[in-house]
Amino acid sequence: MASRKLFLGLTAARRLRSRAPVLVPLSALLEASTSTSHVAAATQCSGVGPWGMFLSSRALSSTRQVAQSACDAPAPSAVGYRSILPEDEYHKLADETIQGLLEKLEEYGDSIQMDGFDIDYGNQVLTLRLGELGTYVVNKQAPNRQIWLSSPVSGPSKFDWDASTKGWIYRRTGANLVQLLEKEIGEVCGNSVELS
Amino acid sequence: MLLRAGGRRLLAPGLRRVLAGGDGATAPAAVGGARAYHERVVEHYENPRNVGSFEKDDPSVGTGLVGAPACGDVMKLQIRVDESSGKIVDACFKTFGCGSAIASSSVATEWVKGKQMEEVLTIKNTEIAKHLSLPPVKLHCSMLAEDAIKAAVKDYEAKKVKLGQKGEVTSTEKAAEA
Repeated sequence: MASRKLFLGLTAARRLRSRAPVLVPLSALLEASTSTSHVAAATQCSGVGPWGMFLSSRALSSTRQVAQSACDAPAPSAVGYRSILPEDEYHKLADETIQGLLEKLEEYGDSIQMDGFDIDYGNQVLTLRLGELGTYVVNKQAPNRQIWLSSPVSGPSKFDWDASTKGWIYRRTGANLVQLLEKEIGEVCGNSVELS
Repeated sequence: MLLRAGGRRLLAPGLRRVLAGGDGATAPAAVGGARAYHERVVEHYENPRNVGSFEKDDPSVGTGLVGAPACGDVMKLQIRVDESSGKIVDACFKTFGCGSAIASSSVATEWVKGKQMEEVLTIKNTEIAKHLSLPPVKLHCSMLAEDAIKAAVKDYEAKKVKLGQKGEVTSTEKAAEA
């Protein structure tokens, strides 16, 4: 019973979003990362506010164009993550990135001889244990075309592919995945590391 | 069946994704691996608090809906605010997701009750994760719960502004007619 109600609630939310043209490109965002979840929640009540957040939270040039065209045109085409980054391309990019990290981290582990350093890759999840200092987990989140990171230093983050800088970017902070890991792991282990 | 594996760690075989507040905690069929849920997570799963729904259109209610079914986690967190004091007098949630997600949102509803709205905005995902001893891979659930709290407060504030605007329009109309 309650499960039906929840799904009805979710369906109603989608219908609400599709009514106003300005909300159409944002409709894809409800399926997106939680960094834009505020937008999704806010759009259900106030149609005005979200644009400021939408424009400020998006660094991708492709979506800035969408935002502008949405303001001018009455019925912009829905731009979803699926059209921005096709699934097979996403997997290729994400796999390359994670494989690259795996190789570099393995080399790093061999070179620094740290106690408790353990790197594991299974089921497309990269786990880096740094003994008492904490554990990093990097995994793909295909539906959102994201790479998710869990860091003992900076907590959880979700990275989207940015074609303009050819990197994975966490929208809330603008941080680059590889650079962030280099910085944190270097500091945590006391030895600088190059992961790119 | 839950096996008490000594100390504070409980082994919960195959805690699958269930709908909190649905048909109750139906025992999952699959037997999981070596994953252990902390006893606090299991407690929230077996005895969920504040599961439910407030009337969305009620002006004193703020609704935060975060996550995406495709990701496997959706949280709806609602707060009821006392307008005069700005205090959150009641909260409820409905979450579709893993045990950690359910526990995180359940904890969130417990922590926001009786607090001022400005205060709950300072609730951090790290506190929730620490309270539930979430493993690294589940930190994302606690982040979602933090987002849900913020979204609910934002929704309430946005509603208030909208209703305030409506009130102003009506009063100026009345003045014009007078």
